[in-house]
Amino acid sequence: MKHSVQTWLLAAGLLAAPLAQAQKKAAPAATTPAATSTAAPAFPYPIQQKQLANGMNVVTVPFDSPGLASVFLVVRAGSRDEVEPGHTGFAHFFEHVMFRGTDKYSKEQYDQVLKSVGASANANTSLDRTVYHMTGNATMLEKMLEVEADRFQHLKYAEHDFKAEAGAVKGEYTKNSASLYTQLNEKVADAAFDKHTYEHTTMGFFKDVVDMPNQYQYSLQFFDRFYRPEYTTLLVVGDVKTEQVNQLADKYFSMWKRGSYQPAITQEPEQTAPRYVHIQNANFPPLVSLSYRGPAFNDQSKDLPALDILTTMLFSDNSPLYQKLVVKEQKVRFVGGSPNYTRDPYLTSIRASVVKAADMAYVKDEITKALEDLKTTPVDAKRLADTKSALKYSFLMGLDSPDQIANGLAQYIWLTGNPQSLNNFYALYDQVTPADIQAAAKKYFVPEHLTVGTIGPNPTGGVQ
Amino acid sequence: MKHTFSRLLLAAALLGPVGAHFAQAADVVELRQPNASKVVVKLQFRNGSSADPVGKEGLTFLTSQLVTEGGTKAMTAAQLKDFLYPMATTYYATTDKEVTTFTFEFHKDFTDKFYPVLQGLILTPSFTQQDFDRLKSNQLNYVEQVIRASSDEDYSKFALEDQLFRGTRFQHMTRGTAAGVRSLTLDDVKKHYAAAFGKDNLTIGIAGNFPASFAKKLKDDLEKLPKSTAKPVVPTVAAPKGIHVEIISKTDALGSAVYAGFPIQTTRASDDFAALMVANSFLGEHRKSYGRLYDKIRTTRSMNYGDYSYIEWYENGGQNMLPVPGVPRHANYASLWLRPVQIAEGLRKQYPTELGGLTVGHAPFALRLAVREMDNLVKNGMSKEDFEITRTFLRSYVKLYGTTPSKQLGFLLDSKFYGRKDYLKELDGQFAKLTLDDVNKAIKKHWQTQNMYVTIVTDDSEAQPLADVLKQNTPSPMSYAKVVSEGLPKEVVAEDAQVANYKLNVTEVKVIDTKDTFK
Repeated sequence: MKHSVQTWLLAAGLLAAPLAQAQKKAAPAATTPAATSTAAPAFPYPIQQKQLANGMNVVTVPFDSPGLASVFLVVRAGSRDEVEPGHTGFAHFFEHVMFRGTDKYSKEQYDQVLKSVGASANANTSLDRTVYHMTGNATMLEKMLEVEADRFQHLKYAEHDFKAEAGAVKGEYTKNSASLYTQLNEKVADAAFDKHTYEHTTMGFFKDVVDMPNQYQYSLQFFDRFYRPEYTTLLVVGDVKTEQVNQLADKYFSMWKRGSYQPAITQEPEQTAPRYVHIQNANFPPLVSLSYRGPAFNDQSKDLPALDILTTMLFSDNSPLYQKLVVKEQKVRFVGGSPNYTRDPYLTSIRASVVKAADMAYVKDEITKALEDLKTTPVDAKRLADTKSALKYSFLMGLDSPDQIANGLAQYIWLTGNPQSLNNFYALYDQVTPADIQAAAKKYFVPEHLTVGTIGPNPTGGVQ
Repeated sequence: MKHTFSRLLLAAALLGPVGAHFAQAADVVELRQPNASKVVVKLQFRNGSSADPVGKEGLTFLTSQLVTEGGTKAMTAAQLKDFLYPMATTYYATTDKEVTTFTFEFHKDFTDKFYPVLQGLILTPSFTQQDFDRLKSNQLNYVEQVIRASSDEDYSKFALEDQLFRGTRFQHMTRGTAAGVRSLTLDDVKKHYAAAFGKDNLTIGIAGNFPASFAKKLKDDLEKLPKSTAKPVVPTVAAPKGIHVEIISKTDALGSAVYAGFPIQTTRASDDFAALMVANSFLGEHRKSYGRLYDKIRTTRSMNYGDYSYIEWYENGGQNMLPVPGVPRHANYASLWLRPVQIAEGLRKQYPTELGGLTVGHAPFALRLAVREMDNLVKNGMSKEDFEITRTFLRSYVKLYGTTPSKQLGFLLDSKFYGRKDYLKELDGQFAKLTLDDVNKAIKKHWQTQNMYVTIVTDDSEAQPLADVLKQNTPSPMSYAKVVSEGLPKEVVAEDAQVANYKLNVTEVKVIDTKDTFK
């Protein structure tokens, strides 16, 4: 159930950085027996796919939205791919540069086209990808694809424009940094990872953001590496026909040349002891966050579905933990948590906004105790079935408009490159048993894999 | 004819309480969509935070939250949450200045199962002390701590309204003031629910896949609500004499977040509004890179993340790309939103050799530039070419306002509020008929730049130097880093010189400590 206070807390406090920018999470079909079965897929619309000879994937989902179409370009490059020191935050910065124009369409001309299409267009970057999206007049589909194909293949920006854009990115950092939650996200990621590029948030380290005006040459290299057909999927949802989309994709994208770059991403070694970070602030609600190392996304493994079901069950507002901490004792304003869906192993984060700072240690212990219980006591079969049902209906109710549908599907495109992963993944949910939940709890909620983040009035968090 | 009619409505609205025209039974808006998988019910009451009793600021908000958070006569809150869990139903309340809306969304598979819950929550809500204590504590925490420390953008926006509507029932945030929320009791909530949520100030909205019998039952059942006695109080606000600036000083702000605004006497009820929408879209369409302000402040000069203009309240602009329904208002204002710009301290650190001696950051320059752009539009109007393309854009763009059943229904309810049948549909006809002359007349009629309120949330190191520049109207040359200034086109350099010396009609500047806001 969504209540507005909770919604606000959820947006501001619960989610770690990648999810804050990511899509509404989808959920499983309750009656699909197996990933390979012929049962109805979780996603209720047919997914049409065609791969161009250069490796670019073209995905079309016709949807009843008269006169409207959403065009998404999903580039599988995000802050995860910033492998060289000094360039953190660059994928996000580059997203801004992509709006700086080409020989054919200067920035002003590009804007005029968007105006003529009547489009809502923008882009966002996260750990694993950058997504460019445009929703507008379906009869202008060809124009939309033409301008997008043009900048993806022929982006051209002056060095001055590049330097100027850096100020806007610093402004974005300034805006975000007003939130202590953002500051804590930064600290937690930095503490939880030493080797993997997930150690920084998508915004990047501040020193690198400040240095961006000096990275023009690197930006050319970045474009050359990642803005390639093999990294990109064109996704069109709405009042369109598949043949029309494929034909236009051929016309505008087939001459795009494949690249060869593959980033060498250092995997994170196993964590051997808990880590702690803290922000001292007496004028803000105290917060406890527990971030455990989690699995990478995989549409053939039950680990993530089990963690998703487990956290939904544990933190829903009818759960014993929620009823105790939030409703009865009123020591907590909000508690919640969920795994992140990422290409490499990342974090499953749990957060509690605590009423009194003196209760921070107690709240942490109560959450830890609830996680420990899951390792030893099998979950109730009805509760498990109810949770699967809740996730299924929550997923179905979120598919109202072309942009929502494209958003949901884009997540699976950037995770695996294949939108059908959505159906594969949700088919796994029904296979999750009480034993799987116990196994996932034992495997992932171990103290040595934990990073604790706190906000409180004292010099330390005091929850060790 | 319509024009006259709308003006009458507007006049009635501005002069007194808006409840005068209500029928005794609830209005109903139906939007049946047989292919939809779900049902959306919206119950919109004309109360809002402006109906909060004096001294009880925040009561309407808390009351509405308690309705959705509690149980019913038939089920406790805990039983209800268990019952609804597998259905993944969504319901929540939103309170704006003049309306409170309850939204219920459920899958069509559960229409019959969910209905008794909906009916119970609205007709027989259980207001328990436990839920009250919890929700009041959260609300107090928001007005005392969270708003000051989570988003300087929202902070400056609410603080601007505090200035703009000072002394009226629109002044306080919808969540109330610290003193107001502290004073609330469970008894206040119970009384306010009986007084402010009645069948005579209710509009019922139903969208999606529902049988006719469902609509009938809902209408019949809601007839059991009492008649309301509490009304929203809509102020008539005049612009100040000159530009009044309030600078909110807080520790550790990285930037200066700027909001400026002045009252305008037009709303969606008036055909003028469509004309002003075109001008506004050209000046600063929300979250779009096409607007003049965005182009000059962000794209050309790289000063911040975005710069936009508005001719009505825009809910949660930091998160929403498109306007959302459910926040209709009769008392209106135009505003300029400049997202945080750099303060001197940050610029000194980044460029110590070039800007090491800087005492004031980008805020005065950005404000001057934005006001000057608006002023240019007031003086010169739009060009034919800009008018045509902006109108074309809007004719298609407004279709995106209602892409989901919930949003479509919400805009239909808003249409009722403004005395229109279907605002989004009617807009297209209004745009089609517009001429450049209509737009330029609307600009001159509703916009000006001599009298306005400005709120700036900034770091304590910046507050006084910024106040001095604005108070004394001393020049504020743009402080570029060399990497940017070296490549600037000549016309930008020339315009910078003019902006730096542009005189704002500032007549009052105050610096306020963050502790003294929203008390």
